[in-house]
Amino acid sequence: MLSTVLLIVLGMVMVALLLNLWRLFRGPSTPDRILALDTLYLNAIALIVLFGLWKDAALYFEAALLIALLGFVSTVALCKYLLRGDIIE
Amino acid sequence: MILLWIALLPLFGVLVPLLCSQRSRLFTTWATAAAPAIALGLTLSQAGTVLQHQTLRYTLSWLPSLQLDYALRLDGLALLFVCLVLGIGLLVILYASYYLSEQDSMPRFYACFMLFMAAMLGVVMANNLILLWISWEITSISSFLLISYWWQKSEARKGARMALTVTAAGGLALLAGLLLIGHMVGSYSLDVVLQHGDLIRNHPLYTLTLCLILLGAFTKSAQFPFHFWLPHAMSAPTPVSAYLHSATMVKAGIFLLVRLYPVLAGTDQWYSIVSLAGMCTLLLGAYFALFQHDLKGLLAYSTLSHLGLIVLLLSIGSPASTVAALFHIINHAIFKASLFMAAGIIDHETGSRDMRRLNGLWKYMPYTATLAMVAALSMAGVPLLNGFLSKEMFFAETLNQSILGSLSWLVPVLATLAGVFSVAYSLRFIHDVFFNGEPIGLSKTPHEPPRYMKLPVEILVGLCLLVGIFPEFMVQPILDAASAAVLQDQVPSYSLAIWHGFNFPLLMSLVAMAGGVLVYTQRRHLFRFQHQFEAVDAKREFERLIQLSVRRANVFSRWLENDSLQRYLLLMLLALLVLLGSSLRELHPLSGGRSLLPLDPVTLCAGLVLILSAIATVVVNRQRMLSLLFLSVTGLMVSLLFARFAAPDLALTQLVVEVVSIILLMLALFFLPYKTPRNAAAPRNLLRDSAIALVLGALVGSLCFALLSRPFDSISSFFMAKSKTDGGGNNVVNVILVDFRGFDTLGEITVLGIAALGIFRLLEHLRLFKPSADGEGRLWARQRDSVILNVIAQGILPLALLVSVYIFLRGHNNPGGGFIAGLITSVGIILQYIAHGVSWLKPRMRLNYALMIASGVTIACLTGLGSLWWDRPFLTSWFDHFHLPLIGDVELASAMAFDLGVYLTVVGATLMMLANLGKLTTAHRPQYEEMQ
Amino acid sequence: MNLNELPLWLEILLSALLLLGGLFVLIGAIGLVRLPDFFTRLHAPTKASTLGLGAILLGSMVLVSVSHDGVSLHELLITLFLFITAPVSAHMMCRAALHQRLKIAPGTRNGEYQGLTLARQQERDSSRLP
Repeated sequence: MLSTVLLIVLGMVMVALLLNLWRLFRGPSTPDRILALDTLYLNAIALIVLFGLWKDAALYFEAALLIALLGFVSTVALCKYLLRGDIIE
Repeated sequence: MILLWIALLPLFGVLVPLLCSQRSRLFTTWATAAAPAIALGLTLSQAGTVLQHQTLRYTLSWLPSLQLDYALRLDGLALLFVCLVLGIGLLVILYASYYLSEQDSMPRFYACFMLFMAAMLGVVMANNLILLWISWEITSISSFLLISYWWQKSEARKGARMALTVTAAGGLALLAGLLLIGHMVGSYSLDVVLQHGDLIRNHPLYTLTLCLILLGAFTKSAQFPFHFWLPHAMSAPTPVSAYLHSATMVKAGIFLLVRLYPVLAGTDQWYSIVSLAGMCTLLLGAYFALFQHDLKGLLAYSTLSHLGLIVLLLSIGSPASTVAALFHIINHAIFKASLFMAAGIIDHETGSRDMRRLNGLWKYMPYTATLAMVAALSMAGVPLLNGFLSKEMFFAETLNQSILGSLSWLVPVLATLAGVFSVAYSLRFIHDVFFNGEPIGLSKTPHEPPRYMKLPVEILVGLCLLVGIFPEFMVQPILDAASAAVLQDQVPSYSLAIWHGFNFPLLMSLVAMAGGVLVYTQRRHLFRFQHQFEAVDAKREFERLIQLSVRRANVFSRWLENDSLQRYLLLMLLALLVLLGSSLRELHPLSGGRSLLPLDPVTLCAGLVLILSAIATVVVNRQRMLSLLFLSVTGLMVSLLFARFAAPDLALTQLVVEVVSIILLMLALFFLPYKTPRNAAAPRNLLRDSAIALVLGALVGSLCFALLSRPFDSISSFFMAKSKTDGGGNNVVNVILVDFRGFDTLGEITVLGIAALGIFRLLEHLRLFKPSADGEGRLWARQRDSVILNVIAQGILPLALLVSVYIFLRGHNNPGGGFIAGLITSVGIILQYIAHGVSWLKPRMRLNYALMIASGVTIACLTGLGSLWWDRPFLTSWFDHFHLPLIGDVELASAMAFDLGVYLTVVGATLMMLANLGKLTTAHRPQYEEMQ
Repeated sequence: MNLNELPLWLEILLSALLLLGGLFVLIGAIGLVRLPDFFTRLHAPTKASTLGLGAILLGSMVLVSVSHDGVSLHELLITLFLFITAPVSAHMMCRAALHQRLKIAPGTRNGEYQGLTLARQQERDSSRLP
């Protein structure tokens, strides 16, 4: 049962990923796109964790942790760029 | 070992004058003289052995597989030259201390001088052709520095440049020639090369090799037609001329000919080329020396003529002529050095070198005049002086040759003619300067120089006399040993006696002297004759040539490099296309037949996202910010795919690098226009560019497919097998980085550190326009800080550090390592910069990034050097397991320390780049914001 | 690990957690696409997706802990991290959006809020000018 559930959840996450991408392409404003990118990072974490469960490999958790950290940093940097232009001032 | 000291002492001596720059001039002189004096003492201590016709050798292996060794030899020939180089060098050091004025920088002069001396010793003592060549090149460079010592003077700069251009060009030819010799013989060791004379002479490449080596030797020794640089090098300070242009630098070319004499000489090509060059130089130098008004110019042309004489002797190729050549090398060095020094004294005490103004100096400086006259008579070849002996031998040899076939009788005639002019210009030197009326328009009254300034001249002139009167006692042993080294123990019987009875050579000498007196007394007619010709200024011609080539080079490079990055990219991609396309044709069929992996929907979906975002990046490329967003999606997807295909190290690295470069790009984008301006040629170029991109993409794609679908046996299986046993780690990637390819990594972090320092330097005084509004005209937000962000960012720093420590520590056995950990730490700190700004962070986080880089590289180097302690090669890694109570089994590896070096360098370099790029605007921010 | 050897109740619990997570992630993404303006769209992923991700991570933690004999703390760290950072990201994005004065969907209550805050902010800024 669990394998089936895993596949279903993976499918859901993939659909979510594509929807994010649609928003990223569609815009219309830059904050929208940043939001889409941020969500894309979140969904990538979900994807990588689920994939790790599916393939039964623990190697992916570092990657998930790093995506969480780096996604945050890049979102903040992008927002700062919109607000102030100069991200390190 | 003693040989090593002889060669290295002058090299260490380079530092001595620099360290003495605060001391008195006298102290500097004596301290500088110490190293060559000790080296000379060491040489003399070995002389006994060498004079027994033995060869001393010393070899220090460096790259045995390439036959690059630091190999030295001391045979008779080397001993002769080492004594000349060190002995005359010492005298010149003493002389220069009086010659240089208060304004001249003494340490700089002595440092260049010692460098030259060390290089010259390297040339004469080298036992390896490549070592010889490297030393040869250093002599060119250091002589450039010495000739241009008075760099304020235009002619000094031009003369130095000309000397460097000519001798360095010859040096390149020489390198080619030496490499060819190495190719023929299969070794660069002189010992081996000298054994294979017949092999080289009969090789099809012999003529080419000979020409290349002769090019090197002739440019260095200023032989016709490369003679023109020597007179212009006379703008050097006189001690330099006395050293470089009498005893050492120009003799290096002669030395090379003598050194390679056993392998190159004795063929028709050798006879014809060498004798022709020598004969032309001999006559040309002697003739033009007479017409020089400059004292040093006269000596320079006379040097040319004597060098030509030596080369001519070498070309004759009989054993006796070789002995005569070696003898004349000694004699010329002695009398020419003393003459240059005397000329320097005259210049120093009168302020002029023009022989039309210098007259009747005998009254003012009789002592110096006597010394100079003895040396000049020696140059003219007057009996009882050393010049007479070797000139006599020269005349004798010209009678015993057949180098010009049936026209060989011309050689002694021309030699006598050169002798005539030689006597004439020597007379001019004596009569014009010391007699012939009163000096005209001198700026100061001439007088005798200081006591010790004359000492070197006295010693040299004394040697002229001693060698001239007691030749057997003075030079026989060393001449024997040197000849034995050159002729490989087939020394002919020769006599150094002063009196050989009435014979042809004596007659030639007498004719030369009588003719010389005649020519000198009747010189007005000759001067008038010579005056008809328009003087060709070699320097101007040469400068014109140089300027022309610079202009041509500029035109060419402007055509090639028009500063358009698009164009460079286009050219590079086209080149790639050609190279790849041609080699791909051999890959047929495309698929290698390996079974393909099954496709799962997750990978498919991620691939789809990757492709779509890549296309989007290109489509929106004019809106830079947007394409940056799409680019980061691409990066994310690539790292997910890395993770998917079991390359966790790559995935982690890609993730972190991605974010750091996005931040870097945003920092740069701030200063750039919001949108890429539309290019007029864009529609036309669009077609071309997309065609190239598509074709290249198809090529790379099919290449990847072809490669991945083939059963491919790479070296990775070796690393897989050895990683745990030899490197002590399970993570093969990390073990490769810190152990198997540790040397590469060391180089890379060094380059990274240098790049960071370079960026720092470039940004240091950069002033950039800071836009006050974004691309749509909105002013930037007034409020700088967000309290929420500040608090959270501070909280995240320890978390990021924790993660990086974790990633660092597990790196040897699991995905991770110093590089990724360093980048994570950097990202954590950059977050603080973003949240708080530079001015807030600076007093609170005192990290010296330059120090971090330096300590990182140092730690990595020291780890590598540590293995030398246990007699292992550089960077051998070490690991062991310890059992600690409570903690359990702990593995310690030296690779960990190395990784720490990598970590520190990465953190320091990344932050140095980003923080400095961010700091660019801090300087011109309005004041009120600083107050917040 | 064999997914079929787990006790039934655990399997049901895990399935529920994962499904719930997947559902919320999907809902967040649908919200991101469907909602009318930026400020409403901001809510969907930052709240729903984060919760969904939390559920997935919890499920993964339990699963790995049970099957590998030992508590897996990675997921806890990631969850903690996400729950700390997600609101800050949302805050920053909202500030950027306010700065850009993005359009607000009709019917938003406190519609003048955006203008209000801007006015107040400018007032505060000008009072700080020297």
